[in-house]
Amino acid sequence: MEKVIIIRYAEIHLKGKNRGYFERVFSVNLEKSLKGIRHELRRMSGRYLVAAFAEEDAEEIERRIARVFGVHSYSRGYLTESDMESIVAAATRVCPQTGTFKVDTHRGDKKYPLTSMQLNAEVGAKLLEAYPALKVDVHTPEGCVYLDIRDGGKTLVFGSFEAGANGMPVGTSGKGLLLISGGIDSPVAGYMMAKRGMNVSYLHFHSYPYTNEQAKDKVVTLARILSRYTGEGSLMTVSVTHIQEEIHKKCAAELNVTLLRRFMFRIAERIAKKTGAQCLITGESLGQVASQTIEGMTSSNAVVTLPVLRPLVGFDKEEIIVRAKQIGTFETSVLPYEDCCTVFLPEFPAIKPKLSFIEAEEGKLDVASLVEEAVGTLERIAF
Amino acid sequence: MIYLDNAATTRPLAGAVAEAETYLKELYFNPSARYHGGAEVSRMLSRAREFLVGAVADPAEFELIFTSCGTEADDQAIFSAARRGNAVTTAGEHAAVFESYKALKNRGVEPRFAPILSDGRVDEAALLSLVDEKTSLVSVVHVNNETGAVNDIASLAKKVKQKNPRTVFLSDGVQAFGKIPVRLTKEIDFYSVSAHKIGGVKGTGALIRRKGCTVLAPHIFGGGQEGGMRSGTENTFGIACFLHAAQAKFALLRADGERLLALRERLWSLLDHALFTRISPEDGSPYILTVSAEGLRGEILQRELWDMGVAVGTGSACSSKKPFSRVIEACGYGEKTLYGVLRMSFSPETTAEEIEHAAEAVNAAVRARREA
Repeated sequence: MEKVIIIRYAEIHLKGKNRGYFERVFSVNLEKSLKGIRHELRRMSGRYLVAAFAEEDAEEIERRIARVFGVHSYSRGYLTESDMESIVAAATRVCPQTGTFKVDTHRGDKKYPLTSMQLNAEVGAKLLEAYPALKVDVHTPEGCVYLDIRDGGKTLVFGSFEAGANGMPVGTSGKGLLLISGGIDSPVAGYMMAKRGMNVSYLHFHSYPYTNEQAKDKVVTLARILSRYTGEGSLMTVSVTHIQEEIHKKCAAELNVTLLRRFMFRIAERIAKKTGAQCLITGESLGQVASQTIEGMTSSNAVVTLPVLRPLVGFDKEEIIVRAKQIGTFETSVLPYEDCCTVFLPEFPAIKPKLSFIEAEEGKLDVASLVEEAVGTLERIAF
Repeated sequence: MIYLDNAATTRPLAGAVAEAETYLKELYFNPSARYHGGAEVSRMLSRAREFLVGAVADPAEFELIFTSCGTEADDQAIFSAARRGNAVTTAGEHAAVFESYKALKNRGVEPRFAPILSDGRVDEAALLSLVDEKTSLVSVVHVNNETGAVNDIASLAKKVKQKNPRTVFLSDGVQAFGKIPVRLTKEIDFYSVSAHKIGGVKGTGALIRRKGCTVLAPHIFGGGQEGGMRSGTENTFGIACFLHAAQAKFALLRADGERLLALRERLWSLLDHALFTRISPEDGSPYILTVSAEGLRGEILQRELWDMGVAVGTGSACSSKKPFSRVIEACGYGEKTLYGVLRMSFSPETTAEEIEHAAEAVNAAVRARREA
């Protein structure tokens, strides 16, 4: 009998001929997530098993597995020989000692001499012998003992299913560049694209000395939390200070944010192309703030050719907050390191800016050289 | 780097660090240990206690409790003394006192805040009018940490006791101790001090208390150190450092004060008066000059100046809802002044040359931003 954690994967079974590729990426991601913990990762008929780990690492392994996209569910249990004695010995360990229970057998090995119903009954009877305070309830049991009879004379015995993060293995759906601020939304947007298998890298715009280093550190912290899911290891930053000053000095105040966002998109596209990203990702949600109207998004999209993915576009703030809490970024996002960026905020930002007006105002600036200058401030913070 | 943020913290004196090293590397013994090494450390603590009290008060009347910082000293005094009725303080206090007073409300004690004048000193008449027969505590900061204004605590304490002799009087002396002449009178019950504002290290403070005042209660219980008033093994290297720094500062207190007063005024004369409003009073601490670059953001200037090699303080933190100083606001200034506050604070290590360079940088940074 061997102590194991059983991992079942989510959508990979949908992928016909690509299946081998998806599985390879998935197992590499699993290995990466378990870096630093002694273990063995094995394939076993459509499942993965983590074995040869120390008991005190089990919880940490489970925590990490729960964050790997592509994991549908996982269970802590035992891998044993398929003879009755071994199965009962393992079942005794995962079975509750009081309350109601049932045995639920899945017979993958169709040549096994007993049927599922027979196994349920026989193993159930042995468990009742071992724990006299137990009662059987096949409809709404409090506990359950699962037997998974596999080919090759091996059986998996476990007591519960824990839900995984689902989605697709990160790295199987291309590469995107996330525009990450210190707020609540953008980390959630990055999480959602990673969940669909996208490799996500991060770009943060700062306006030092208007913004402070603590604000940047906060973004690094957010990126690190997000990286538990995405596996990305660094944050890119670019200064937009000079651009903001120029806009502030020369352009209509109500367009400040609109114009800045167009610059951010241009810079992001340049960096995306340089780093092999195939799209931009933002945390925009329709109508959330003045710049996140359809007109605002249209004006930003107009300056780039890469697709801009906005996974939160149809989400309410509340829904985003719920997700941010689940991901673990919320507490950091709400830390009060807001910055002096507000000196540039107009009192009445344009909600539905006309493209002709935007372009006229932007014409007052040397767009190309400002973008060039900003790209030149690119820094990479590894973590 | 020209360091003009000494009111925030000072660079530890080289001699003080050397002293600390001795107590980290050689004399690391627990002062409560009953062998020779322990006794030796314990004797150093006694010397420190004696010197630090003696520097500002009569050791027959006053004694000292080592704490982890000035804030701890303030808090212990406040929550020990303000047990009933009301407690009075000023709008110009450091957060260590101000926030503790706000917390008193939850303990059934009414906090009362006296207004301050435009230079940061407390409005004496207003303060005294808040004191009545139910006042258990009055706290007045000695040197206002944001403007440098000096409150006459001896006279205030006397007037408070005349109105209600049972009222306990506390003064936060963190920006005064080792910088301006201090003599604690019999009307002052508690005085809080800190090591890292005078060349010691962070993590060491003390509460000086009048022996006749018996309200003090321990907030940390344990092995009974500090006469049972503050348990926990003493920060011996920090205290050794504190002792050394205090000895150095008190030896030259008057000479340093006079020199820094001249430097402070020199700095003010070099600043472009068309760009700045002066907030610090002329009769305030020689260690602090606070000005405002009207309408600009102090925090942004602060970072630009850092990049130019000059470290200064501000009255603001952009993080709070009101991105400017509560204390300077209480002085009665408008928003434009409040946003632009810069605090330049000195130490005896500050040189005339540094002042010249700093003035140039500060003028240049503000001019550049005005033109931007």
